[in-house]
Amino acid sequence: MRETAHNVEIETQKHFLNFSQVRKWPEFGVIFAFLILFIIFSIFSSKFFTLRNITGILTIVSELGIMAIGVAFLMIAGEFDLSVSSVYALSGFLFVTLANKFNSPLAFIITLAVAAFIGFCNGTITLKAHIPSFVATLGTQLIVRGTLLAVTGGESVSYKSDIIMPTILTRFIGYGFRPSHIWFLVLTLIFSIILTNTRYGNWVFATGGNKAVARAMGVNVNKVKVTNFMLSALMASLSGCIVISRFNLANASFGIGMELEAIASAVIGGTFLTGGYGTIIGVFFGALLMGMMRTGLIMIGAPAYWYQAFVGAILIIAATINLKLRHLEM
Amino acid sequence: MQKATTLAKMVNIGKYFGAAQALKKVNIKIRSGEILGLLGDNGAGKSTLIKILAGVFPPDRGEIFFEGEQVYFSSPRDARTRGIETVHQALSLVDIMSISRNFFLGREPIKKIGPIHLLDRKKMNEECKKAVTKYGVRVRSTNEFVSILSGGERQAISIGRAMHFKVKLLILDEPLAALSVRETREVLRQVEKVRESGVSVIFITHNVYHVYPVAERFVMLDRGIKIGEVYKKDASPEDIIEIIATGKMSETLKT
Repeated sequence: MRETAHNVEIETQKHFLNFSQVRKWPEFGVIFAFLILFIIFSIFSSKFFTLRNITGILTIVSELGIMAIGVAFLMIAGEFDLSVSSVYALSGFLFVTLANKFNSPLAFIITLAVAAFIGFCNGTITLKAHIPSFVATLGTQLIVRGTLLAVTGGESVSYKSDIIMPTILTRFIGYGFRPSHIWFLVLTLIFSIILTNTRYGNWVFATGGNKAVARAMGVNVNKVKVTNFMLSALMASLSGCIVISRFNLANASFGIGMELEAIASAVIGGTFLTGGYGTIIGVFFGALLMGMMRTGLIMIGAPAYWYQAFVGAILIIAATINLKLRHLEM
Repeated sequence: MQKATTLAKMVNIGKYFGAAQALKKVNIKIRSGEILGLLGDNGAGKSTLIKILAGVFPPDRGEIFFEGEQVYFSSPRDARTRGIETVHQALSLVDIMSISRNFFLGREPIKKIGPIHLLDRKKMNEECKKAVTKYGVRVRSTNEFVSILSGGERQAISIGRAMHFKVKLLILDEPLAALSVRETREVLRQVEKVRESGVSVIFITHNVYHVYPVAERFVMLDRGIKIGEVYKKDASPEDIIEIIATGKMSETLKT
């Protein structure tokens, strides 16, 4: 019985891996995996496919996904950003502190500006020091996180200000849906359009695909990279503000390890680690897959700790498939 | 006698990389509608010289004139706006991008929808297909990745692209390296086609036999110094090899 099922699956895979189809739908793999897991979870847990659970998943996914979009957009330009998790925590803290002192819209704007500055520093350090962004942003990740821990002494602050930004960002709008879900969707569409349908998107692909060619063809590659570093930090910051508006509490240890989840979402979604290729729709489903696994595994009765092991396995599979696809194309 | 006008002129060009002098007082001139062969052994300074002309980096000494005006290029984009374009074996196309995206890279056509500027993908595909077909590349779709193309097809696309954007001076940097015999002939035919349309070409190679059939004038470099300049009618390929090998012009060729 199992034998046959296995064979059928291989058959279908062969059929689907017909290359021109994959080329046209680079998101196909991640959507396929998403649907399979979705069906499995729905079968094994009666509570999985309920509005309450779905919206709950969407809430987590939106916060991770917004960060992942920025990370992926930068990865396509050929650089990494490991500092996003620290920017996320810093932004949450800054937002709460400033909102308590002034008001939330002002706090939000200042927070984003600070994040953009950190992104600018990430880009400038990477380009001027000629060190890999992996190292540069690991450095800034530790600097930002360390500073935050030192300054706050590990203490939390709670949000005691107006409800303007929290309402815009994440307060319930009915049936368990939140504005953050809409933000995630809208940002996915915007970044997707920028990437595939604007001149800037073409430059991002070229910068990540081959920096020397892009430069020779008149693309200002350094500007593209710095801009994308800033966008990555901005998205992480937005994500941090959303989380804090939901929890009403900020702590310096928020989001530790989240940068890896964001990168994993991007890779599962088909973004090349080496840059030059990827889709934002893919990242959307990559993040969705990650968030769904988190709750899905618990609901079907697996201990929460298995989540990481699963993410690891899926990441390896996704990266292997991406590489295979690339060899088919090259 | 000299009816052709000078298109570009590089005067007393000097360039240092750290303490090493890559170019020393090099003078070259390119006339309208001619093919100039720029020859020299590896490390002679050929690539450095044309990278300066293409705006990749500025010279430390010397001046550049284009169409009679002194020009200062701070980036390849500046040079491209003036109509100077380089086709390089490895530096012209991004492998993991589609043909049409490569074709318009840095010069993408846009359509305006209110304040939003979007890529005109339809125009990109149509114009790209027309242009590459003209230069002998048959592609199923311009959405295919460049990585599936052969070396000859890539050169043809790069040359077609330069022509499409009304290049005035085309720099070919070792365009035949790693090409098969058939592809070599195909590319040389395209170079002729380019010249016929009135565009000047600088053809860089270390192999005289590659450029001899198409060029009418040759400049030889050796360790950053211009060691010779001859017209095709005055020198055989063997004479030119002799100049490169010995590093100096023989007395009979000096005019």
